[in-house]
Amino acid sequence: MRRRAALRAAIPVLFGLGLAAYILAPFVWVALSSIQPERELFRVPPHWVPRQLTVDNYRFVFTGRFPAGYEQAGIARGRISEKARDALPALRNSTIVAVSVALVNLVLGTLAAYTFSRLRFRGAGPLYSFVLASRLLPPMAVAIPYYLIVNRLGLLDRYAALILIHTVFTLPFTVWFLTVYFRRVPPDLEEAAFVDGCTRLQALVRIVVPVAAPALAAATAFSFMFSYNDFPFALFVTSTIRSQTIPVIVANTAINPDVSFGVVAVTVVLTMLPPVIFALGFRHYITRGLITVTTTR
Amino acid sequence: MCTRRIAVVALLVALTLTGSAAFGAAPVQLTFTVWSYSTDVILDNIKKFEAANPGIKVGLQDFAWEKYVDVMTARFVGKTPTDLAYSSDHWLQQWAAANWIVPLDDYFPQVKAYKPDFAPYATEGMTYRGKLYGLPYYADTIIFIYNEEMLKRAGFSTPPATWDDVTKMALAMKEKKIVEYPIMFQFQDITPWYIEVFLSMVYSYKDYRMFDDGLNPTYDREGSAAHKVAQWLVDGMRKHKITNPASLETTEIPLVKAMGAGQVAFAVLPKYNLADLNTPGAHAQAGKFKFALMPGESHGTVGFVRFYAMTKMAADRGTAAREAAWKFLEYFGGRTGTEFVVVKRWALDKGLGFAQLPLYKDAQIRAAINKWGNVTLEEQQSKLARAKEALTPFWGSWSLEFQKEMNKALLGQKSALDALKASAAKWKEMKK
Amino acid sequence: METKGDGGVPSPFLPRMRPVASSGPRYREARYAYATVLPVVLLVALFTLYPFAFALVTSLREVVLYKPWSQPFVGLKNYLDVVRSEFFSTSWQHTLTFVAGAVPLATLLGFGVAHLLNARTALTPFLNVTILLPWAIPTVISGIIWAWIFNSSYGAFNGALYSLGLIDSYLPWLSRPRSALLCVLFAHVWKEVPLTSILYLAALQAIPEELYDAARVDGAGAPAVLRRITVPLVLPTTLIIVVYETMVGIVTFDLLYVMTGGGPAGATSLISYYLYNSMFVAFNFGQGAALAVLLAIALVAFIALYLRLLRSEEIYVT
Repeated sequence: MRRRAALRAAIPVLFGLGLAAYILAPFVWVALSSIQPERELFRVPPHWVPRQLTVDNYRFVFTGRFPAGYEQAGIARGRISEKARDALPALRNSTIVAVSVALVNLVLGTLAAYTFSRLRFRGAGPLYSFVLASRLLPPMAVAIPYYLIVNRLGLLDRYAALILIHTVFTLPFTVWFLTVYFRRVPPDLEEAAFVDGCTRLQALVRIVVPVAAPALAAATAFSFMFSYNDFPFALFVTSTIRSQTIPVIVANTAINPDVSFGVVAVTVVLTMLPPVIFALGFRHYITRGLITVTTTR
Repeated sequence: MCTRRIAVVALLVALTLTGSAAFGAAPVQLTFTVWSYSTDVILDNIKKFEAANPGIKVGLQDFAWEKYVDVMTARFVGKTPTDLAYSSDHWLQQWAAANWIVPLDDYFPQVKAYKPDFAPYATEGMTYRGKLYGLPYYADTIIFIYNEEMLKRAGFSTPPATWDDVTKMALAMKEKKIVEYPIMFQFQDITPWYIEVFLSMVYSYKDYRMFDDGLNPTYDREGSAAHKVAQWLVDGMRKHKITNPASLETTEIPLVKAMGAGQVAFAVLPKYNLADLNTPGAHAQAGKFKFALMPGESHGTVGFVRFYAMTKMAADRGTAAREAAWKFLEYFGGRTGTEFVVVKRWALDKGLGFAQLPLYKDAQIRAAINKWGNVTLEEQQSKLARAKEALTPFWGSWSLEFQKEMNKALLGQKSALDALKASAAKWKEMKK
Repeated sequence: METKGDGGVPSPFLPRMRPVASSGPRYREARYAYATVLPVVLLVALFTLYPFAFALVTSLREVVLYKPWSQPFVGLKNYLDVVRSEFFSTSWQHTLTFVAGAVPLATLLGFGVAHLLNARTALTPFLNVTILLPWAIPTVISGIIWAWIFNSSYGAFNGALYSLGLIDSYLPWLSRPRSALLCVLFAHVWKEVPLTSILYLAALQAIPEELYDAARVDGAGAPAVLRRITVPLVLPTTLIIVVYETMVGIVTFDLLYVMTGGGPAGATSLISYYLYNSMFVAFNFGQGAALAVLLAIALVAFIALYLRLLRSEEIYVT
C-alpha cells in the first residue's frame, strides 16, 4: 500500500523533472555553448561536461578583442561575426522600445479600458468591437503597408516607428484584458468617491488603479514581451544599429557568412536576459491577472 | 593709402570667395546599402574614400544577406533614399526592369574603358539589355574543393577529373571507413546557393545550355546535361549512399563548418570558402583542403558577380550627386591611379575573388592566394566560367521551385527527370 | 439587471454593464469618454484601415513589382489564381496537419503541466519560474536554438541519443519530411506550453475545493474526478485555448523559416510561407494581397467563433 502511494507521489515528480528538462534543455545548451571555443561545439559526440572553457566569446562581444585562434589579420583570420558587437547597443534599443510600449499601453490602455468598462456613450459597442477586431491581418501581409506609413511619417530607423507599430499591435489585447478586469471591480468605492466630489479621472487614478494593480502589471508585462520579441516589423522598419533591436541582430549574426557559433550563443544568452528577468519579476501578477480575467465569477 | 586699403579689401574678398567655394559648399551625402559582410572593412574603405574626397559623405546601412532582397524591395517601393547599393547578377533583371537601378553607360560614358578588364562572366552578369549596370564588388567562381589527406588515405594521388571519378573515389573512402558520407551539399530548400551549385555542375558538360534562345526550357529532356547531373545526384544519395542525406537541411556555413571538422571530403562551394577552410586554427582540418577544376568534360562552372549599382533615386538627384556617385563607384570598383585599390584589399584581406583580370599579374596577390589556394588553377577556372543564363525577373522564384522539386527527387518521391519536368512546367507558367 | 444602454449595444464583446449613477452633466462625461477612447481608436484605425484598404485594392489589381508600369485592374483573378495554385493546396494541407498536431499537443501538455503546478510538489516553486522562460524569448531565437539542437552534423539531440547508446550514428532529423515536421512541432509546442499551462492553472485554481472533497467522500477515483469534474469545468478555457492555438498555428512563420526554410522539399511550408513567398520572392503583390485577405477572412471566422464561445462561457456557468 505504501509502495503504491510512494509510486503515485513519484509520478508528478518524474513528470516535473521531465518537463523541466524539456523546458530548460535549450537554455542550458546555449549557455554552455557560449563559454566554449568554437571547435568544441562541433565534436561528435559533444563533451557534455565542457572540457575547454573560455570567456573569449563574451570578451569579444563586450570589448571587441578577438578570441584565441582568430588573432591573425588578413586572409588568415578565421570567421567571426563583427555584427555580434552590435548586440549590446541592440539590447539597449530593444529595452527602451519595449519599456516605452509598455508605458504607452499602461496609460492609454487603462484610460480606454476604464471608459469602456464603466461609461455608456454613443458608439461604445462598435468602437470596442473595432479595436478588438483589428488583429485580423497576419503580420507578413501588413509589413509593407506599415513600412509605407512609417516612411511617410519620416520615422524610419527610429524608436518612434517601432513604438508606434508595437503599440498598435498590443493595445487591443490590453484594452480587452483591462476592460474585463475592471468590470470585475465593484463600482461602490468609486461611487463613494463621486459623492465626495471626485472626477472620473481622479477616481480612476486614486481608487481603481491601486485595486487593479495586478492586472495592470500583467498587461504591462504582455506588451513588453510582445514588443521585445517582435522580429518581422523590426526587420523592415530598422536599418542601422541606431534602432535595430536584438532579435534582428541575433538573426543577422546567426546567418552571416562571417559567423562563429560560440559568439552567436553569447548574443542569444544576452537576448534572453531582460525578458527572463522581467517575466520572473512579474510572474505573480501575470498569473493573478490571468486568473481573474479568464475565469468566471 | 587709399589704393592699399582697396587692395587689402580686394584680397580679402578674393580669399573669402575662394574660401567659400572650397569649404562653403555643403558636402554631398550619399547613402550606401550593403549586406553584412565584414562591415568593419567597408567602413574603413569609406573612411579612406571620404578622406580622398572631402566634399562627399557616405552613410552606410547594412542588412543580413538572407534578408537583403526583402529589405531592399521595401526600400525601393517606399522610396527610402538610397544612392548606391550592392547588387547581384541574379537580381539584376528584377531591379533593372523595375527601374530601381540605372545603366552606368547612360550617365558615365567613361565606364566603357573598364570593360576589357573584367572577366567575361562578370561583364555578362552586370549587363541588362546591352547596358552595364555596375562595377564589380567581387566576383567568384564555384569550385570543387577536396580534402587532400582523405584522398591520399583512400589511395588516390590526383583529384577527380570526371563525375564518375568522384563516385569511384567516394565509394573507396566509404569502404575504407575514412568518412561515412564523403560528399555533402548545401541543398536546403530555400538557400540561394543550391541552384548555383547545380548549375556549376551542369556547366562542366560541353552541351550545357538549359534554355533555348527563346528562353524556353530545354533541360527537361532525357539525356540533357541537367538530367545527367540530376541523376548523378540522386544516385549519389539513394544508390551509392556517398552523399550525406543531411544535405537537405544544410546551408553554406554549416557545410563549411562540417567540412572543416572533417566530416566531408568533397564539396562544391564558392571559392572564398577555401580561404576560410585553410585558415590555421579556424578548423580542425585546416590546411588540408585543395582546389580542383570542376570535374567534367569542359571543366566549366558558374561565375557570379556582385557589384556596386547606382539607384534611380541618385540619378534623379542632380549633377552633384551623380558626380559624387561616380567617384564612389570608381574608387570602390575601379582604379585609383593605376591600381584597383579596394578590390585588391578585399582579395588580400579576405580572400575574395575578383573580376578585374589585371590583378592576376600582381605579385602580392599571387603570393597571397597561393597561401591557401592555387592561383594558376584559379585564373584558369575563371576563364572557363560562365554567367548564369536566362536570368529573367522571375528566375529567383523559379529557382526555389526547382530546388524544391529536386529535393523531392533526392527524397525518392519522384524520378530525377520528373523533377526537372515539374520545374520546367513552372518556368513556362511564370514566363507568361 | 439592465443590459442595454444608450450607446451600449448588447454586443457579444461587452460584458453586462451595471447602471452607473450619473455624476454631472451628460456631455461632460461623454467628452471625457471620447477623450480617453479616441487616441486608442485613432491609432488602431490608422494601422488597420490603411493596410486593409491597401491589401484590398492591391488584391484586385495585377501588381508585380518588376513590371511597375502596368497595374491593371483584374477583379478576382488573383483570388482564383491563389486558390487554384498547387502551392496553396499543399501549404494549406501542411498547415492543417501542423495545426492538427500542434493544438492537441499544446492543449494536453498544458493541461498536464497545470495539474503539476497545482499539485504543490517540492518542485512547484522551481517549475513556476521555469515554465515562463520559453514564452519570454523571441520566436526567431527559439527557432535558431532548436535548429542547432536538431542539426544532423553536430546537434545536441543527436549527441544525446548517441551518448545514451540509442543510435550509432547521427540522424538527419530536419532532412526528412516527417521528422522535420515533428521537430518543428516539438519546438512550437515548447514555445506555446507556458501560455496554455498558465491558462489551465488559472482555471484549475478557480474550481472550488469542496467539489473534490465531495467526490472523494463518494469514493471517486482520480480518472472519474478528472472526467466528471475537472474537464467539464475547464471546458471554457479549453475552448479558448483551442481557438487561440489554432490561430497561432495558422499564422506561424518565424519558427519554420528559421528552422527548415519550409523544407525539406516543401514539407514544412505552411500558408504563411506561401504568403511570404508571393510577396518577397515572386514579387507578386497582387496575389500576396489576395492571400492576405483570404487569411484575414479565415481569421475573422475564428475570432467570431472565439467570441461566441466567450459569451457562451458566461451563459454556460450561470
